[in-house]
Amino acid sequence: MGIVSIARRIALMAGLVASAACAGSAAEAADKYKIYLSMSFIGNDWQAEAANMVKAMAAHKSMADKVDLQVQVAGPNAQRQIQQINAMVQAGAKAIVIFPISPTALNQVVKNACDKGVKVFAYDAEITEPCAYNIHIDQEEAGRVTAEWLVKKLSGKGNIVILTGVPGTSVDDQRTKAAKAVFAKYPNIKIVGEAVGMWSQAVARTELSKILATRSWDDVDGLWLQVGCFTANAMQLEAGKKPNELKPCAGEGANGGRIQMLPQSTKVEGASPPYAPLGAPRISYASPPYSGALALKLAVQALEGKDVPKLTILPLPVVTSETVKLCEEGTWEEMKAGCNAFNPALVSNPGWFASIFSEQTPEIGLNAALVGQPEN
Amino acid sequence: MSLVSARGRSATAPLARWLARNRGALIAAIVFALSLGVVDWVGAGPLTYFDVSFLSSGGATSAIAAMGQTLVVLSGGFDLSAGAVVSLVNVALASSMDPMAPGANIVLWTLAGIGIGMTVGAFNGFFIAWLRMQPIVVTLSTMFILQGVTLLVMDKPGGFVSPDLGSFYLGDALPNLVPMPLAVIGVVLLMWLWLKGTRFGTALYAVGSDPDSAAAVGVGVVMVRFLVYVIAGGCYGLAGVFISAQTGSGDPLVGNPLLLSMFAAVVVGGTRLGGGQGGPAGTVFGAYILMMVVNILLVLNVSAYYSTIAEGTILILAVLAGSISRGSVLAVKLRAARAQFAAWRAGILPAQLDRADRRMQIAPRTPSRAGAAPPLHVRYAETFRYALPAYICLVAIVIATQLWLGHAILNPGYWNSLLVLSSFLAVLALGQGTVILTGGLDLSVPWTIGLCGIILAGTVNGSDAALAYALPAVLVMALAIGFANGAGIVYLGISPIVMTLATNGILQGFALLYSQGTPAGFSSPMLRWFMTGRLAGVTPVVPFMLAFVAVAVLVLGRTPFGRRVYGIGNGVRAAQLSGIRVERTLILVYMLSSLCAAVVGVMLTGFSGQASLGMGDDYLLPSIAVVVVGGTLITGGRGHYLGMLGGVLLLTALQMLLAGTTLPYATRAILYGLVVLGAVMALRERRVQ
Repeated sequence: MGIVSIARRIALMAGLVASAACAGSAAEAADKYKIYLSMSFIGNDWQAEAANMVKAMAAHKSMADKVDLQVQVAGPNAQRQIQQINAMVQAGAKAIVIFPISPTALNQVVKNACDKGVKVFAYDAEITEPCAYNIHIDQEEAGRVTAEWLVKKLSGKGNIVILTGVPGTSVDDQRTKAAKAVFAKYPNIKIVGEAVGMWSQAVARTELSKILATRSWDDVDGLWLQVGCFTANAMQLEAGKKPNELKPCAGEGANGGRIQMLPQSTKVEGASPPYAPLGAPRISYASPPYSGALALKLAVQALEGKDVPKLTILPLPVVTSETVKLCEEGTWEEMKAGCNAFNPALVSNPGWFASIFSEQTPEIGLNAALVGQPEN
Repeated sequence: MSLVSARGRSATAPLARWLARNRGALIAAIVFALSLGVVDWVGAGPLTYFDVSFLSSGGATSAIAAMGQTLVVLSGGFDLSAGAVVSLVNVALASSMDPMAPGANIVLWTLAGIGIGMTVGAFNGFFIAWLRMQPIVVTLSTMFILQGVTLLVMDKPGGFVSPDLGSFYLGDALPNLVPMPLAVIGVVLLMWLWLKGTRFGTALYAVGSDPDSAAAVGVGVVMVRFLVYVIAGGCYGLAGVFISAQTGSGDPLVGNPLLLSMFAAVVVGGTRLGGGQGGPAGTVFGAYILMMVVNILLVLNVSAYYSTIAEGTILILAVLAGSISRGSVLAVKLRAARAQFAAWRAGILPAQLDRADRRMQIAPRTPSRAGAAPPLHVRYAETFRYALPAYICLVAIVIATQLWLGHAILNPGYWNSLLVLSSFLAVLALGQGTVILTGGLDLSVPWTIGLCGIILAGTVNGSDAALAYALPAVLVMALAIGFANGAGIVYLGISPIVMTLATNGILQGFALLYSQGTPAGFSSPMLRWFMTGRLAGVTPVVPFMLAFVAVAVLVLGRTPFGRRVYGIGNGVRAAQLSGIRVERTLILVYMLSSLCAAVVGVMLTGFSGQASLGMGDDYLLPSIAVVVVGGTLITGGRGHYLGMLGGVLLLTALQMLLAGTTLPYATRAILYGLVVLGAVMALRERRVQ
């Protein structure tokens, strides 16, 4: 990359995409590993948080002089991600960290990348091509553990409502099938309503409203929602239920839900109902958003010649009403000591995912997930 | 929608005529060459044959599918089922190939894929050509049905596609000279060139330009339309085969996101939406331009948050570049403005002349005619005919809900929920419906909803006092968005679909930048009470919705603005000649649509308690569906708001019924599609005797 090519770049950027922002100059990146992040859509909280944590990891002092990270978005289109990965290989990537839109559609292009010596790391969802490194939780375990908790809470008897994720994805399929297999073992557990929740609190609200149009909350004993417990609790309060009458709900790891799980007497800064302590009976699990950052860390280790396993199964972060604990500042040290919910004053978005702690990533804490700032 | 024909008249020599006729495609080719040059120039090294081969396979799926879509668009139609066909062929191949078999018969599997596509095309064509139903609603229903069928075939990614297929379709046609994807596209283009020369080709352009004239000169319009959908289906099928070869496996969601970019490819390639002008060759370049955008963003290292803004801008620029000429709308408008300025300086504008009333004397109306007004059911016969089917289906659905789930007809909670859940689409239907009445479409609805909701929640942050200034601010912002849409369509001559699609991308970028990826803030208590509280047993939004319906009916039916909208929809030229200020009205229409979207953004924020990115995504296709199910003609000019409202209530009641059951999602999607199809069967055009 000489001066001429930099001048060309600048001229092009000025001429073509006046509004575009650019980062990093080419010259100083010469002796760093060029690593690309290919994200899926950035239209939801989880993706934004994961991207922040990847950026924070790259900015940490242990990484900053090793890594030149560039972030690209493929949207929900697998075709585009294929094209993007090709372009990254052409642009000289050493490693590519991917949120894969499809577990299978990328196989050929990932194989091509591997053949050219590029390390490919997939986070959260998997890529089935054997040369790729995968970092994710066991989705079947997530479905099974949460369903078993709900059955136990209901003593094996009652009417339940379930909300699934995005139909046609492996993650949704594995979670839902595992949960239904558990429910099928208890003949007195009846699924009375089932809708597609798309992993969105907003969709959960409309779908639950539809289901409850022809029944009342009294006809429902428990809820198994991949995303939506925060919303379901808010709806029960609106329908005139008292906090101590809330139905048991197995669902996502959103911070709003975690705050609701705290005992009602807890003093919480910035709380206002329904984003407030309610003592809600819950189990909260999540696909943790730190997986992308961990993937980046492992990618650098692999590039440095260390031995990295092809498959890293992350421990399933599970929090129940008994184990929920409020964080004061949200540093990695504090989370290591066991806190797992954050003040609304710090995290104003209740849909924000709170499962950001990993033993393996002391580089990143709450500030990483919020604004992309690493720990010291 | 362009008010002025873009064809040059001075072209006399054959070459000049050829250039003029293929301008759109040529400019697309030039833009493509430029973007290829940019990637080559800035990229890491010179483009090798290997890179070209990669690039050609990257854009091939959308290029092949978009060629099929081009034929449909040329015939004056619209095919929303294209992406779903690609997915269906992909899973059909991936689930039926045997991993143990030693090799795969490439010809056989290719024909199987094309056959599936053609079968779907024949299904579409039957309803559209023979039953004369509107393409957009038939193909929308087909899309839902196919999505269900696809999930029945394969409910998660997986399966196996023989590597033989991959090495054939991604290999070389001529080693180190022509990659196979380009050869496949070339073969399809050659077939099109042959087809274009036949009587069918001529008939296709004739039907697209003016179906009535085509029928009058003896073109078999029905057969031509039918065949167009069958051939297009074959193209989608081939695209499905290609993506199967490219990915080596099946994924039930792989084709769905191709849909919108397919329309962008068609338009960037110089084909006019509405029919009669353009061709698949330009579309191929259009598809590859859109694919190259990915590479350009990468080599320029454009930040992720800006990528949708950059894409939207590129889309607008590409289309504008394609229309630069003396005859383009922008040039005409500039000349008109200059002439007006000169006239003003000379003092000869009509407004500057003396204003004596020179109207002709018209004899006063004789009183006897006033008494002869026809009875209501005669006067509104057409409105009833097109609006009633939706309400009849609604009654059927409500009865079905009562029988299946109980607690419906006599349960006030059911009706309250129905109205609350309908309120979003009821508001959107006014905006989208008005746009459709003028013959346009507003695709910027999703992120107008999203951006307005996010900004409102971020500004209000739980305070009722802040709502007092945040709400007007958000609504004014929406008016500005609508003005930008309208101005782009009217003054730059960009087709509504492209303009609003680009706006949608740009708004998405703004929303991401504003929220930095995670929207903060939440709705105020009053707004939440408005959407979820109780006032004498009903949610406060319900009376608001009833008032809104009354206002909407008055605006469209009883105001000069409403009559102008219908006038424009029935014929832009006629409207212009009868003194309607078309430009001003169109801009107002798009402002109304954005305003409605903003109101929905505010309502959704109150309903959910907070705003989220992408919260408007689920409302785009339904907002079009309800308008059409309610009896509105997608090409404009016909429809009544009460019909649209019937469509809203029908689809919401249907979703409530399906949500209350435990049917699998695939079955629900199929049922949903069938009901939409059934509801509009009654709306089909009567045969002209």
